[in-house]
Amino acid sequence: MNGQGEEAGHIFQIRWIPKYTFVERLLHWIHTASFIPLVATGLVLYLDTLKPLAQGDAGQWMRLVHRLIAVLFIAEPLVYGILQPRRLWLHIKEFSFEKDDLGWLKNAFSYYVRGKHDAMPPQGRFNTGEKINGMAMIVTWILFVVSGLIMWFGKGLVSAELFRWMVVVHDLTTIAALCMFIVHFYLAVAHPLMWAALVSMRFGVTSATYAAEHHAKWYYGPKRAMELYEAKKRNDSH
Amino acid sequence: MARKAMLIDESKCTACRGCQVACKQWNELTGWEYSKTVNTGSYENPPRLTPQTWTRIKFTEYDSRQGFRWLFLKEGCMHCGEAACVDVCPTKALKKQADGRVTVEPDLCNGCGYCSQFCPFGIPKLEVASVITGQAKASKCTFCQDRTDNGLSPSCVKTCPAQALFWGDRDKMIAAGKKRVETLKTRGFAAVNLYGEEVVGGLGRLYVLIEKPETYGLPADPQYPAMAMMWQNVIQPLGKIAIGGTVLGTFVAWLIIRRNIKMEEVE
Ligand code: SF4
Repeated sequence: MNGQGEEAGHIFQIRWIPKYTFVERLLHWIHTASFIPLVATGLVLYLDTLKPLAQGDAGQWMRLVHRLIAVLFIAEPLVYGILQPRRLWLHIKEFSFEKDDLGWLKNAFSYYVRGKHDAMPPQGRFNTGEKINGMAMIVTWILFVVSGLIMWFGKGLVSAELFRWMVVVHDLTTIAALCMFIVHFYLAVAHPLMWAALVSMRFGVTSATYAAEHHAKWYYGPKRAMELYEAKKRNDSH
Repeated sequence: MARKAMLIDESKCTACRGCQVACKQWNELTGWEYSKTVNTGSYENPPRLTPQTWTRIKFTEYDSRQGFRWLFLKEGCMHCGEAACVDVCPTKALKKQADGRVTVEPDLCNGCGYCSQFCPFGIPKLEVASVITGQAKASKCTFCQDRTDNGLSPSCVKTCPAQALFWGDRDKMIAAGKKRVETLKTRGFAAVNLYGEEVVGGLGRLYVLIEKPETYGLPADPQYPAMAMMWQNVIQPLGKIAIGGTVLGTFVAWLIIRRNIKMEEVE
């Protein structure tokens, strides 16, 4: 991954192409840097082994830290949306599903788990899995923020019934988001086929060969990508 | 250990509020925000339970067939048999003692306030130092834990000059309450009833009421909150399985893909 390698006696060069802008990467890492400590300070209320950290003064600190980081977690997409509403809208559009996504989902298990190089329907800059992750992030962000703010400022102002609902919603959202995070972390850090993903998020670039295989619709454009996909499928079946 | 309970005979209460004073004195509670008396249009004072007021006499003005009268209700924690506050407390500051008393350990409390929101009677109160930082402490009646631990009765029971308050084994209190209800019935109190024998796992605070519970502003059929049940018994255990399962699943997937992929072919 240093850009150069030796294969079958000849030198090949990785051609790097830009994938994520600086701001996109910044947002990604702010989100990461807020999400992880938010989960950590929340889990002390959940896991019995961490109970001592939830009690007394330690618990008050946990709650304070949780709130401080929550400000960052809430502010980051809002500031982005205010400064760049058009780009935020484009992201949401990029995360929206199309009918090709079904084909990806059907093959995903055999590709990502069993490592079979079947023809995968061509993908845009975000593949179906990343879209699901992106959409889940938007939905869970909204649920976290609404339920969190009501618990933070609404205690005694809203009805007890609503407050109870918010506690349950915050919990469920945490469970869902944490499961998504675990899969996301695994794919980015440990999955051998996805080596380029972490590079892209760190340095903003990806290898052209990787892009051609994993993000053909973005690399070639939708029409050409479809032609190549059909050709590959025909080849595979012969 | 036999379950303990307080029996409150509201037919005898004169609203002298000696119990309020005894509670503050024994538990070293301050006047807090009501140190300045405010006119709320009623003789009752203070107007509600607060972090520094664990018991108080609630006044209900109502028109009986005999004309205007007051109903007095000694408010405070019910020490529920199925205490939602204990179940949702993430710090174990709230505890159910073997004899049924629900106690609070302030040193363990982190101020989350779940108890105040899940209690079906809205009893625990939060002393909030700051809404922004969330610094707070929950408090409520503990049946004078330091007294009752040592075989004494709660300070309010000890002080009540009208002898409307009793403390002892719960079955004895129930029997005494039922007897009192019968006596009052023969004296013409048609609606008299014993409150708290069965609801929410059986309350540790039993009332002899001379009117229907609703007339006093008590819920006729209080319920253990469904949300607490869902949260504690369904969502939290399932969540642990889901999170653990995801970790395990990705690990197994990693083992499989490591065998199936030759890194040299990956571009
Ligand atoms: S009345 Fe409220 S605070 Fe008291 S034991 Fe029942 S649930 Fe807990």
